[in-house]
Amino acid sequence: MPYNIAMVSDFFFPQPGGVESHIYQLSTKLIDRGHKVIIITHAYKGRTGVRYLTNGLKVYHVPFLVIYRETTMPTVFSFFPIFRNIVIREQIQIVHGHQSLSSFCHEAILHARTMGLRTVFTDHSLFGFADAGSILTNKLLKFTLSDVDHVICVSHTCKENTVLRASLDPLMVSVIPNAVVAENFRPLHATNRTNDRSGATPQIQPTPRPIGPNDIITIVVISRLFYNKGTDLLIAAIPRILASHPNVRFIIAGSGPKAIDLEQMLERNVLQDKVEMIGAIRHEEVRDVMVRGHIYLHPSLTEAFGTVIVEAASCGLYVVCTRVGGIPEVLPQHMTTFAKPEEDDIVLATSKAISALRSNKVRTERFHDQVKVMYSWTDVARRTERVYKGISGDISPQEFYGYYPGEIQEAGSDRIRNFSLIDRLKRYYGCGVWAGKLFCLCVVIDFLLYTFLEMWFPRANIDIARSWPKKLNEANNSKPERERLGSTS
Amino acid sequence: MPVHLVSRRPSPTTASFTVSNASRHISTPAKLFFYFQFLLRGIVFAGVLSFHAARFRHVFFSQDSFVPWSTVWSSSLGVSLCRIADTTNFAVAALASVLVLYGVFLKGYTEESLLVIRGLGIQTSTSSPTYLFKAATRFIPTTEIQDIVIHEAFKGFEVRFYLAVVVVGEPEVVVVFPKLLPNRAKLEEVWRGSRHCLYDSKP
Repeated sequence: MPYNIAMVSDFFFPQPGGVESHIYQLSTKLIDRGHKVIIITHAYKGRTGVRYLTNGLKVYHVPFLVIYRETTMPTVFSFFPIFRNIVIREQIQIVHGHQSLSSFCHEAILHARTMGLRTVFTDHSLFGFADAGSILTNKLLKFTLSDVDHVICVSHTCKENTVLRASLDPLMVSVIPNAVVAENFRPLHATNRTNDRSGATPQIQPTPRPIGPNDIITIVVISRLFYNKGTDLLIAAIPRILASHPNVRFIIAGSGPKAIDLEQMLERNVLQDKVEMIGAIRHEEVRDVMVRGHIYLHPSLTEAFGTVIVEAASCGLYVVCTRVGGIPEVLPQHMTTFAKPEEDDIVLATSKAISALRSNKVRTERFHDQVKVMYSWTDVARRTERVYKGISGDISPQEFYGYYPGEIQEAGSDRIRNFSLIDRLKRYYGCGVWAGKLFCLCVVIDFLLYTFLEMWFPRANIDIARSWPKKLNEANNSKPERERLGSTS
Repeated sequence: MPVHLVSRRPSPTTASFTVSNASRHISTPAKLFFYFQFLLRGIVFAGVLSFHAARFRHVFFSQDSFVPWSTVWSSSLGVSLCRIADTTNFAVAALASVLVLYGVFLKGYTEESLLVIRGLGIQTSTSSPTYLFKAATRFIPTTEIQDIVIHEAFKGFEVRFYLAVVVVGEPEVVVVFPKLLPNRAKLEEVWRGSRHCLYDSKP
């Protein structure tokens, strides 16, 4: 059964980033599966109003005040009238919010529950528990997630984090990883696209020359240069790695507040000829930078998923990364060398990786095909669709959540969140001594606002928008169709 | 007030679409009321004029010209009018009469239209809010029309459909029914009709 889905997030194109491309890729694949998807985000400079992207993906750029790093002002209620209008005119059944720092997403989930819609939340990042900012964010997250129907996390570590932060029932949280468009991240020596499509005739491709003992090995680092991306570790490790391996070069792409520290380190150690800093690059250029190297170094201190290391492996790079967050789940053992997030261990792991490459122990040319099989957006869309089916009641709760004979009945029945106000208030009341009461107040005001809006802007006066015409062959979701879709990407 | 659309096609190459939120006066009492309100407007207008005439009777209307003013002012109606005019505060009366005069000429409805003539162009028009002014019109010759489209935009707390003409060389589109913004079904009818008329294309 096709659903009408609204993806809500502050973060969307034209701003580049992981969440943005996740939303776009997931939406396109869901449209391919016969659903109707719209995206609600705030207006960017030069990008306002209602727009269509490829494949009939409709984007509403709602005019809204942006306060900090493309996040809108958290006003709790002011988004409701326009949100209600969009939801009614597009006949939305499921509201899917993305990213915990997006106030649009939280507000949308609250309003959607008031309007009696199913909601899903996808968390893309990890948060701490200790500092004031995190405590505030976690409380806010708890508010939104007390009444959400289902949560999707990008890795098991992320799931653990979210479950703890928002005190959720772990069975209500699914793990669906990110994916990469493998075609955009091909190694240098791969056959071109048209040859690959035919498949039946294997091309004689020029195999990369094995690396000799004195050949230059290039290490690529692509990350925003922030504290949490481990730039300090990188600054400490680079001179030591270069001192012990003379035939190693670095390429560092990305910008951020730590760029100045990095440049100072280069000047202090006079490493300008061995380390190339190319500044911020666009996402399309990432592949071209990656294929210049042999090893990808990822010294991040916290990471929910780390799409970039999948992209690096897809480009045929051997990956050295820190064992933090969701990173260990992402790639199989033979593609990576792990390090503890500390200087000595990173130097050691990088040295190990260099010697492994020099002795030709790693078959990096096979990485691309392996990654292609592991990660595809079609698969992500299929799993997300199952979540939608589960919360809409199209597959039974036993099948969706699993059947546990010893389980108390109440716990199971609570997972299907009903829309009656008193039950919703009960869920919010448990959020905290003061917070619970405050949240209940917000929910009651939201409900009153909803009834007021129903009177002031009656449902009957809202025009229903036309759906994008569906392609006929993709309308039927038959089994061979699914397999064909699964194999092409 | 509900918006209704009237489309006329006097010839295959001409089409006119009018949207209006005026009531349509179908039943006899509605028609009677419609004419009655014109009568009422006339009476109110005359009343305001005669009030001011009474106020300034010593300045302008004292000599008997072709109207015998002295008999008018000494009649029973004239005497009471003079008494009211002399006793009221003039500033308040002036303000009130301006408002009343505006109300007399206020239409109370908006009418917007689109006229399409093949080979010539299209003309959009929006009625003025009062009876005193003509409708604001804009003519776009066929050579300057790039396309006619229906799109959506944010307006207040809503997302509304609008019909727009893309004009060659202009950065902004010309919205066709900018005040009334009729619903999608009506816009689609106008869009089909006007394209059919302009380009003779099958809708």
